Amino acid sequence: MMTGMERLVAAINGTPADRIPVFCNLLDQGAKELGLSLEEYYASGEHVAEAQLRMREKYGYDCLWSLFYVGKEAELLGCRKMIYAKDGPPNVGEMVIRNYDDIARLQIPDDIASHPAFAEELKCLRMLKEEGGGKYPICAYLTASMTLPAILMGIEKWLQLLMMGPADLRDELLAKCSDFFQKQVAAYRAAGADVLVYSNPFGSTDFIPRKFFNELSLPWMERDLGPGGTTGIVYYCGSARFNDVIEAVIDRLGIGVFYLSPMDDIVEGKRLVAGRGLTCGVINDIMLIDWTRDQVRAEVKRIIEAGKPGGKFLFGTLVMPFAIPEENIRTMLEAAYEFGRFDTK
Amino acid sequence: MLKQFMSEYNEAVMDTDRDRALLVVRDALDQGISPEEVVFEIVVPAIELTMTSISENQGVSLAQHFMAAQIASEVVDDMVPRFAKAPEIVGQIVIGTAQGDFHGLGKRIVAGCLKAMMVEVADLGLNVAPELFVDEAVARDAEVIAISAMMVHTARGENGCRRVRQILGERGLEERIKVAVGGAPFRFDPELFRTVGADAWAENGITAARVITDLIREVRR
Repeated sequence: MMTGMERLVAAINGTPADRIPVFCNLLDQGAKELGLSLEEYYASGEHVAEAQLRMREKYGYDCLWSLFYVGKEAELLGCRKMIYAKDGPPNVGEMVIRNYDDIARLQIPDDIASHPAFAEELKCLRMLKEEGGGKYPICAYLTASMTLPAILMGIEKWLQLLMMGPADLRDELLAKCSDFFQKQVAAYRAAGADVLVYSNPFGSTDFIPRKFFNELSLPWMERDLGPGGTTGIVYYCGSARFNDVIEAVIDRLGIGVFYLSPMDDIVEGKRLVAGRGLTCGVINDIMLIDWTRDQVRAEVKRIIEAGKPGGKFLFGTLVMPFAIPEENIRTMLEAAYEFGRFDTK
Repeated sequence: MLKQFMSEYNEAVMDTDRDRALLVVRDALDQGISPEEVVFEIVVPAIELTMTSISENQGVSLAQHFMAAQIASEVVDDMVPRFAKAPEIVGQIVIGTAQGDFHGLGKRIVAGCLKAMMVEVADLGLNVAPELFVDEAVARDAEVIAISAMMVHTARGENGCRRVRQILGERGLEERIKVAVGGAPFRFDPELFRTVGADAWAENGITAARVITDLIREVRR
């Protein structure tokens, strides 16, 4: 039987495999797995690694996650308060940038790997590498410079600065966020992450008009990715659609993996990628909370039938909500393995 | 002439060019257009046009929603004190994010648009307790409680819309106060609003203004 890494490599290269790779993004579920509260769970990199390894073993999917929660990046940049829920991801409880003067004060750590807020992630990555390295792709999550300010100052204030504020201040903040990205991606690569999910809702025209995408998003993405290159980089806009920018992303950035929105047309996405990269069809996982077994299977079948012909396709989820019943997780995965199988005759 | 100003204003809003939009308003006033006409013949039709563009899937981005609401709100704040007589208020609402939710952008867009439509909006802020939603709605004689939730657990949680509905039921207020919800989880599951006991939902901040004014009319009928 092939490993997750072999399946992913085969899908990227368009070479034979037993089935398409299946990425299932279970994060908060790790706490349930270990019988801990979310706050206890996320306090330790060992907990996260252990739960990731257990859940992968239990369900059989093809990836391992080093991501704790999205607000982690704010902690690296000075946020000292997270607000925990009992049934969902923690929220940033303190904005790092409260007013424009804070932009000048924002410090980008020189060495992310030695930063105390990165210590637990580093532990987690080491454990994942030890136990699953080479067999299962280890995924890391990084926020693009255009999107990171939303976590640091709130999306309202960021949109206000982006659309109406002084351009020099906007660019100062973007430059700092881009410097942070460059250091962070280097730290993740050095720690053994294979798949680097480059999250940028502001890389979607659902978020910003095309003119802004061309004039701001693209140049800042070029700056983010320039020094480290695009090896392992996955283009991802949260749940926002991005079929209409695929051509520009390939042409200008050279990214070769596209993690579509559940709202994107998969057939169209594959047509646009045109064999130049890996297309990932993503299920609307919010619906997995209430769907029946038949509904789950029908949706997985639809996605895979749209993307599998011709290969170079992966089935994936967004960040799976905590409320999805375990039975539906299993049903989705079993269906993905079944419909994603390649005929080896 | 009014039509020309409307078209120029709308173009500036769609280009997310606040300064140009405000310049169009200033030019209109200089040309003798009244503050009332600026609001009701230029700003409100521009919002309605944005709604139409969204409903026809013409690719209007979140940034354009934000700017349309922001500019509308600024213009209305500037124009209303100059009205010949106080405008007739269409209704009152209270708005906030569900308990545990700290994402305020959606409600800001909704509030900006509603202000232009002469709906009085009391913004209760972020992380609002269900009891506070109801108490404030009663105190302000509001027809609608609008709840924004960007996360699955806050949209579906027991201290969000579900609890607001329960309190309204317990206090016999269900005919007097309607509940509207919005946020990403509702977009990904268009039936979720029913599950959590809301009367209506909106796919985005701009169309929420229409949904909410419809609910106000329903209560006032």
